[in-house]
Amino acid sequence: MRILVVEDEPTLQNQLAHELAAAGYAVDVAGNGIDAHYLGDTEPYDAVVLDLGLPQMDGITVLRKWRADKRTMPVLILTARDGWHEKVAGIDAGADDYLTKPFHMEELLARLRALIRRAGGHADAELSCGPLSLDTRNSRATVDGRVLTLTSHEYRVLAYLMHHRDEIVSRSTLIEHIYAQDFDRDSNTVEVFIARLRKKLPPGLIETIRGLGYRLSAPK
Amino acid sequence: MNQSLLPAAFRRSLRIRLLAGTLSWILLSIVLAGWGLDNLFRQHIATQFHGELTTHLDQLTAQLTMDEQGRPRLALPLSDPRFSRPYAGHYWQIDRLDGQPERDSPAIGQLRSRSLWDFVLNVPDDSLSDGATHRHRIVGPEGKMLGMIERSVRIDETPDARTRSFRLIVAADESLMLEPAARFGKILWLALGILAAGVVVAALVQVFVGLAPLRQLHGALGRVRNGEAPALEGDFPVEIMPLIEEFNSVLSQNAEVVDRARTQAGNLAHALKTPLSVLANAADSHARDNGELARLVGEQVSLARTQVDYHLARAQAAATSRLPGARTAVQPAIEGLLRTMRRIHADRGLQLNLRPIPETLSFRGEAQDLQEMLGNLLDNACKWARQTVECSVRHEAGCLVIDIDDDGAGLPAEQREAVIRRGIRADELVPGSGLGLAIVDDLARLYGGQLELSDSPLGGLRARLTLPAAA
Repeated sequence: MRILVVEDEPTLQNQLAHELAAAGYAVDVAGNGIDAHYLGDTEPYDAVVLDLGLPQMDGITVLRKWRADKRTMPVLILTARDGWHEKVAGIDAGADDYLTKPFHMEELLARLRALIRRAGGHADAELSCGPLSLDTRNSRATVDGRVLTLTSHEYRVLAYLMHHRDEIVSRSTLIEHIYAQDFDRDSNTVEVFIARLRKKLPPGLIETIRGLGYRLSAPK
Repeated sequence: MNQSLLPAAFRRSLRIRLLAGTLSWILLSIVLAGWGLDNLFRQHIATQFHGELTTHLDQLTAQLTMDEQGRPRLALPLSDPRFSRPYAGHYWQIDRLDGQPERDSPAIGQLRSRSLWDFVLNVPDDSLSDGATHRHRIVGPEGKMLGMIERSVRIDETPDARTRSFRLIVAADESLMLEPAARFGKILWLALGILAAGVVVAALVQVFVGLAPLRQLHGALGRVRNGEAPALEGDFPVEIMPLIEEFNSVLSQNAEVVDRARTQAGNLAHALKTPLSVLANAADSHARDNGELARLVGEQVSLARTQVDYHLARAQAAATSRLPGARTAVQPAIEGLLRTMRRIHADRGLQLNLRPIPETLSFRGEAQDLQEMLGNLLDNACKWARQTVECSVRHEAGCLVIDIDDDGAGLPAEQREAVIRRGIRADELVPGSGLGLAIVDDLARLYGGQLELSDSPLGGLRARLTLPAAA
């Protein structure tokens, strides 16, 4: 799962990036409206945390442009502006949720998880597929109640596949959603992560669809 | 003029001032003109009357001769026939003055006009220089007052060579002079009365028409106050226009100041909250190393946040609630908020119902304040509701009555007052409900409205917000 954090205050930007990475997300950051708009327009994010008071282009304008260009990723506005008229303006510009500063990091993480889940059409915080289940609240994967030990990249691959259960996910899509933008991407590493996951999971959960990618589904 | 000496009504009413000023001058000038014209006419009639008498006297003097016995007689009778008809109103009489009357005739009334018949004019004794004339008023036949003119004539060339002196008198009934004057006076005062009535009506109309723009201004101000218009609108006379323009510029300047104040308050809040976020997150991430410090920082940050929210809302509202001309349609404001609630509380799967609202219902105040009040109430209801939140708005005696109901746990009656007044948290489990209701109550009071909490028919809490409606 890949997240874009748009925040112009450097310390807060660092804190957000750090906490989100610790929660298992691949995180990109932008410090102004122009960069934010460009990243959101070109990269496939699973969610965006957007500040409104930004240099060069304000957050509402960035959001409107994305929506006008049919960019549908869930957007959580994180701002100090907490008037209800500002919240209404934010939601009407296309935001999916609104959180005001100062905030609790747990609340931000919970809301992000909910946004990503709803975007994938899942109502429950705990995703499951046969004997495998993934609790998005604490980033814990279990097979028949037994906790799996996963590296952060393995977790991202598994989380993405769980959010897109029964769908064919191409290798390039996986790469786009597990790595941040400035990360040195190597497409072969995906095969390595899949191979490692297959060893930790019951057999048959992850299929390889030749020439197309991978599919996670419960064995029949 | 000393203001305090004027009657109170005169000081208070422009209309009374204008009417009193105009009417007193008009009536005074009409009375003066009437009095002057009446006198002028009387004088003219009197002059004419005496002129006529003088003419008759001259004629009498010219016709005066003496017979062989030295008795006065007229060479020819006077031409005016009124001297021949008895008591016709015109009379003449010749008296002997030298005191030597003839045996067969008295000195007074020696020769008289036929019109005197048997009456003798009794003229007060008077010493006249020869040829001079005098005027008198005397009682004539039938007790009527006569205007009279007399002249003395001395004749030296007499048949018996004795100088004789005569007094020649011509008189006429005064009523001949007074009647036309009285008739004229009556007509004059009637005409002036009609003129005065016309002028009074004209003055009333003028004052009414002249003050019409002030009534129009009154109406326009009322519309601004009721929130129907943002500024004074309409065509006004050039004399009032500068006042209108000044007033409108004060209004727009006021709106600008308020807008600036709002922006600055918002900026201040923004500037404070980002560092507070950083502080809170830093404390959180070090909670493992120093739990006590992290808890303290977290607590203080939360306190600071509530204070900033509360005072920001108050500052913004205090700046706007007295601003005239503000008007906000209720329906779009509530619909926008409901859209927002559905997103923010999407996980709850709540049923948010809005009863139909007449489109014309408007709040007499700023859109931001209405959204702030309703937003806090709806958010609170959404936090507590199990499944359903219902909102209805109606118009009642110049007020908007907005009910927001939820089917949550409700709030015990004894806690309601405390929640509204001091903004304490009724339940720490639901985040962010600290000062919401207190802010709503404060804002509502600034607008002259109120917030009441009661039991909802849905089973939870009903928040009833009463606010001034825009006409």
